[in-house]
Amino acid sequence: MSVIELVDVVKQYESGEELITALDEVTFQATHGEMVTIIGPSGSGKSTLLNMIGLLDTPTEGSIQLNGRDVTDCSPDELTEERRSEIGFVFQDYHLLPMLTATENVELPTMWEPQLDKHDRAVDLLTRVGLSDRLSHQPTQLSGGQRQRVAIARALINEPDVLLADEPTGNLDQDTGATILDELTRLKETEDIAIVAVTHDEQLVEYADRVVELVDGTINS
Amino acid sequence: MAWRNLGRNRVRTALATLGILIGVVAIASLGMATAALQQQATADLQGLSNELTVSAGPDNSHEGITANQVDDIETVAGGATVIPEKTNFTTLSARNGAETRLRVTALTKADAMYNVTRGQVSNRLRSGALLTDSEATRLGLEIGDPVSYNDKLYRIQGILSSSQGFGGVRRELVLPMSAMAEQDHYDSVTVLTTSEQSVNSLTTDIESWFNGQDEQIVNVRNFAAVQQNVDSFLGTLQLGLLGIGSISLVVASVAILNVMLMSTVERRGEIGVLRAVGIRRGEVLRMILTEAAFLGVIGGILGVVVSAAIGIVIFEILIGSPLDALHWHSARYLLYGMGFAVLASVLSGLYPAWKAANERPVEALRE
Repeated sequence: MSVIELVDVVKQYESGEELITALDEVTFQATHGEMVTIIGPSGSGKSTLLNMIGLLDTPTEGSIQLNGRDVTDCSPDELTEERRSEIGFVFQDYHLLPMLTATENVELPTMWEPQLDKHDRAVDLLTRVGLSDRLSHQPTQLSGGQRQRVAIARALINEPDVLLADEPTGNLDQDTGATILDELTRLKETEDIAIVAVTHDEQLVEYADRVVELVDGTINS
Repeated sequence: MAWRNLGRNRVRTALATLGILIGVVAIASLGMATAALQQQATADLQGLSNELTVSAGPDNSHEGITANQVDDIETVAGGATVIPEKTNFTTLSARNGAETRLRVTALTKADAMYNVTRGQVSNRLRSGALLTDSEATRLGLEIGDPVSYNDKLYRIQGILSSSQGFGGVRRELVLPMSAMAEQDHYDSVTVLTTSEQSVNSLTTDIESWFNGQDEQIVNVRNFAAVQQNVDSFLGTLQLGLLGIGSISLVVASVAILNVMLMSTVERRGEIGVLRAVGIRRGEVLRMILTEAAFLGVIGGILGVVVSAAIGIVIFEILIGSPLDALHWHSARYLLYGMGFAVLASVLSGLYPAWKAANERPVEALRE
């Protein structure tokens, strides 16, 4: 059973007087334990597709299923809940909060629920990504690769089923990028999650179990 | 979280807090200043609040209050002290050539009417006199020196304070009743009520005893009306000043609104991340409102401290008892100022908080 499934999803929006079709009947799915890479030229709709998969946006037409549940018509608050419990994000710019330590950044998604003490899990995750000696460091004291690893740990704090990565190696050099990809590969197995990455980086194509090419809003099979 | 967010731009936070501080100080110290004025006014009027004055009305067939009428007043007044007085004006000259024109009052029971700052005052003055301080100084006279009135000499027995309530200056010479023996009527009768009596009801009693429907034999005055006027004036003054103080707090709120807006616009990307990882809109709203509330609380507390200090100084200057500033009737303005500050800050934070919370994560993440 797939973790996330998009069926005939269309996304259109108005730009000025024009109606722009960003995604045109896209069908996509990902399952536990696989890394899927989405590639395509600029403007092909990769980011839009990732937003759909990540429940950050709702489709104009079509349906989205998360773990067998239809989430197409959920309210923003319901989608927020789904994101909280099932989906983790890793961004090109890491997007860590500068005034929090590495551990606090990892705990961030749980900070509004003090009764849920995830501190131990945060430390555990940071240790597993090799940052046990950087727990109290702030992002400015970390290298790009280290920051991305913190971001990955954060994405996993709530034990999601899907991890979405938007150009995860975009700001990293070749070697550091490879380290990150090794990390993700390890995690997809140990955590049994689906990883969906959008990228230009050809390294990701090598690490992927499956490659999906998006051109002008449609998938090339 | 809110606390650390504020710490990211300390100068900006400090300036917004300063605005609130000034607003609180404006409200609280103006409030305390009016409380000081009220306290002073009450104290000033206190001394007069048990006093009423009877004088001849337009329909009185005599030039003043007669002895018989004084007896009647004494009957109506019950246990109150009745002090008939004769008054005139005179010019005193001194050996040093100085001259002064002042009021002369002749009475008995001088000790009931006057307090001396130096010397003594007795019930019957006999050949003694009381003189106000300013005139004594001007004429170069001291206790024991003679003054002359109507070709008779009296010795200064006591010195009276020259200051009257509300900044008035009193210039008076007090002599025994015998000094105006040739005048058979009394110019006024002062009645001092006992603590069980009400000045207003005694005023009414005396009036109804003497005056008929269209006949005003006597004119009775007390300070109740004055007190009411003063209270009313001070009340209006207070509202006006508090209104002005509030304006400054409104300005501070606008500053907070600005600070919060700038801060949330700058953090758009971050807030987008928070929403992406599953932080609910309500939680984002609470976070930003808490930041605004902190600004209000910190500015408010500092403002209260500064205002309390200013209040103590005001009370020292106006009344001379600085710690009265901390009594409830004055200290409550500290509370109002603080409350207003927190309320204003939270209200200012509402719009930025709402805006940030409802921003679509997709848009915000584009930053």
